[in-house]
Amino acid sequence: MPLNKALVGKEYPPLTMEVDREAVERFADAIGEDGAVFHDAAAAKVAGFPEQLAPPTFPTRMQIAVSASVAADPELGLDYTRVVHGEQAFEWLRPVHVGDVLTAMPRIADVRARGPLEFVVVESEIRDAAGEVVLRARTTLLSRGTGTSES
Amino acid sequence: MKTRPHFEDAHVGDAIPTVSKVVRREEVKAYADASGDQNPLHQNDAFARSVGFPGIIAHGMFTMAHVVKTVTDWIGDPAGLLAIDVQFRAVVFMDERLEAGGEVKAVDPQSRRVTLSVWAAVEREGKRVLAVKNSTAEVQLD
Repeated sequence: MPLNKALVGKEYPPLTMEVDREAVERFADAIGEDGAVFHDAAAAKVAGFPEQLAPPTFPTRMQIAVSASVAADPELGLDYTRVVHGEQAFEWLRPVHVGDVLTAMPRIADVRARGPLEFVVVESEIRDAAGEVVLRARTTLLSRGTGTSES
Repeated sequence: MKTRPHFEDAHVGDAIPTVSKVVRREEVKAYADASGDQNPLHQNDAFARSVGFPGIIAHGMFTMAHVVKTVTDWIGDPAGLLAIDVQFRAVVFMDERLEAGGEVKAVDPQSRRVTLSVWAAVEREGKRVLAVKNSTAEVQLD
């Protein structure tokens, strides 16, 4: 069944995540990032940052929760067993560091079909505790076999 | 921190150094825990086979993290990565060698920003398969 295009523009509840040291450490280790600024607050300060940095894709932790809440939205009609992650974009205004409290404001930016594929584009603006935008994320989910065959 | 490339060092057509690693099951399990993405497709071979793969696949974001590291290793400055936009075009299996790289596509002398095309690939049955293509990154150089 085709997805509900009327949901373009729908906003989802904000999602907040505190960037804690242990989670940063675990994430850096998992992706093989051994740069000192990602493991050591003192090294990060020497390099001019306020705290130990999180690797750039650390906010993936938020995007996974955001995608899950969109996918579970009965109004959208997404069958998560048919979904693959098609595309991911990030725009950073500054590096994320340990101690940041980030809040994502997700919304559906687009729902479109191409042949048997449908695309759901979810955009999130992610702000820090002071309300400044830290990064923007855009996740494109592909739903296989729910579009119409003509494009 | 390693030597940073200066804006003047970047020319359209230049390739940035590639970075490669063999994708291990333990790393993908560690990534599932670190990212919170516990989809069984990345952990359970029987489940992965039930949806048509020979075994578990790496998370797309695991591959993307490797592409990002390739770019930040080149610029040598974590704050220099401004944006990235990645398309996932093929899956990555365990024990495959994942290689990532990029090429300078455009340079802007006013802002000293450089646009790269970026990619990630594996060798599979003697063929090069692009896991990430049609993708770009924007960086700020000194």
